Amino acid sequence: MSTTGKVKINKLPTGVPGLDEILGGGLPEFSFNIIAGAPGSGKTTLAHQIVFANATPERPALYFTILGEPAIKMLRYQQQYTFFDQAKLNTAVRFINLSQVVLEKDLDAVLEEITKEVEKASPGVVVVDSFRTVVRKAQGGTTEVELQSFIQRLALLLTSWQATTFLVGEYVEGEIRDNPVFTVSDGLFWLYQAAERSSIVRKLQIVKLRGQASVPGLHTFRITHAGLQAFSRTLGLAGLVRKIPSARRLSIGIPELDKMLGGGIPEGDSVLVAGASGTGKSVLATQFIAEGIRQGDPGIVVVFEERPQEYAERASSFGLDLKTPRHEKKLEILYLRPLDLSVDETMHEILDAVHKIGAKRLVIDSLAGFEMALAPGFRADFRESLYRMITALTGVGVTILSTVEVNESFTEFPFSTYSISFLTDDIIRLRYVCIDGQLRKIMVVIKMRGGNHSKDIREYEITSKGVVIMGDRLTDYQGLITGIPEHLNRSGNHEERSHKPKAKTKS
Amino acid sequence: MAQRLLDYEAVAGKNSEPTESAAFRVFAKLRRPLITLAGVAGFRSLLSRALTLARAEAPSLSAAVQVAADGSLKGLDELALQADKEQARNEGAILIAQLIGLLLTFIGEGVTLRLVQDEWPEAAFNGRVSEKERKA
Repeated sequence: MSTTGKVKINKLPTGVPGLDEILGGGLPEFSFNIIAGAPGSGKTTLAHQIVFANATPERPALYFTILGEPAIKMLRYQQQYTFFDQAKLNTAVRFINLSQVVLEKDLDAVLEEITKEVEKASPGVVVVDSFRTVVRKAQGGTTEVELQSFIQRLALLLTSWQATTFLVGEYVEGEIRDNPVFTVSDGLFWLYQAAERSSIVRKLQIVKLRGQASVPGLHTFRITHAGLQAFSRTLGLAGLVRKIPSARRLSIGIPELDKMLGGGIPEGDSVLVAGASGTGKSVLATQFIAEGIRQGDPGIVVVFEERPQEYAERASSFGLDLKTPRHEKKLEILYLRPLDLSVDETMHEILDAVHKIGAKRLVIDSLAGFEMALAPGFRADFRESLYRMITALTGVGVTILSTVEVNESFTEFPFSTYSISFLTDDIIRLRYVCIDGQLRKIMVVIKMRGGNHSKDIREYEITSKGVVIMGDRLTDYQGLITGIPEHLNRSGNHEERSHKPKAKTKS
Repeated sequence: MAQRLLDYEAVAGKNSEPTESAAFRVFAKLRRPLITLAGVAGFRSLLSRALTLARAEAPSLSAAVQVAADGSLKGLDELALQADKEQARNEGAILIAQLIGLLLTFIGEGVTLRLVQDEWPEAAFNGRVSEKERKA
């Protein structure tokens, strides 16, 4: 089928970081849209952001206010946002109050007033806030047909005058089927705000958008001093081209563990290090990132339980210098403070850091901390979002090592309490064992998707050089993974075990 | 700023309708953009508040000065006909200063200056906002 002569729909920027991508590139020019949501959901702020992003003195924005928030107060509050450009006021952005017309006259008079202003200013963007008020007032003595006719004439006028329009209104979802305005509109942007336990969760949905493919589903957003910021469910990764897997193996910085892994972690793998508290997961993760820096792989460490400075200082106690690479922008330690974070927002922060320094290695320490940092309402989405991020990042060759704390059990051998083993390629399990009246530590490589790996159960210690694997595999015990092994050759003549590491440690 | 607006309109008034006071012309000019922005009801509320504040500052301000339903000021002509022209001018300035003070309080200096500048494009107002107007 020929595509010659097909109309090209220009896309306008929304001025909202992340929203253009959700919309499929931006706002379709000359479209007739509705911004709907409950009071306080951010409708007016969104409309202002769009207005200030697009208005010029040649193609100004007309902002009709009707009986909603008084215009003076709206100006008072909106100018607090950084997008509010006073220089555009009354030149590129013009506010017109239609309350009197709506109160005293009928829909024809409202249309006449809007027509007069539109023909006078030839605006590029028109906002009616709140359009719901116009409709409510009209419904008193207006038939549904008359109302539909008004909306259609309004849409026709504004489209003919080449304006991209936004009708702002406090609608509820049940109205979508019966309200004619939803039928006529080209775009329907719905903003939600819900309190979940102690947190506020904001989400938006592009319910409808004619002419282009938007990203379906609910996307979280935040309102800051800069206005709205949206976080796409696809994390901006939808268009990423997957990298052909390389044969490169990445050293973890523990030579004996590299051997157990068949030469190191395959580049682009997702590794899970699971173990109880104090088994050395974080130390092992730090060694992995430090070894990467040493080999020229920039890295990101995402921490939730301690601040970057503390993390770097703890690393130095194991002889690992993270301060220099941080200074040289080869390493970023992200401390994602435990606030009401959304999963997607957190993922975006990680992805931004990955892109910024071209990270090849990423450590998430720990998944439990990650989950705790999220607002309760977002925890249900945790696994799904994590899966999307890990899949996308490993797809472009980033190697991810996540730590997860598991409850030590002496009756089972769990890998993760999150049931997320499915999204990891490799699993390293650390655990305590009770041997000869001592609580010692063992590690085993449980799974490697990319190939063969050692089946050995090795004992290790955490020394001043980090995690150090000692000696060969433990052959004298049965039931090591239960945590309470039995000595196979106990004759009463056993030697007291030395704590000197037998394995050669990393210099 | 109020004084500057009055000065502008006093000069402009010499070439126009002699019965209109400078204060009347200032209000007439401010009324248009403020009604566009805030609606008649919004402007009327602001002006009523400004009048109350002005009366507290200048108790002699004539009781005849009232805010009409359409947001215009009634009784300003009587103010202009007062025997003491200096007093009349001061009372007019106080009323304008109170209205500008309210605008500064609600929408800030930047936005207020833009609104005023649009009506008096030839005037320079930067740095002309008095402390009294800021505190109004």
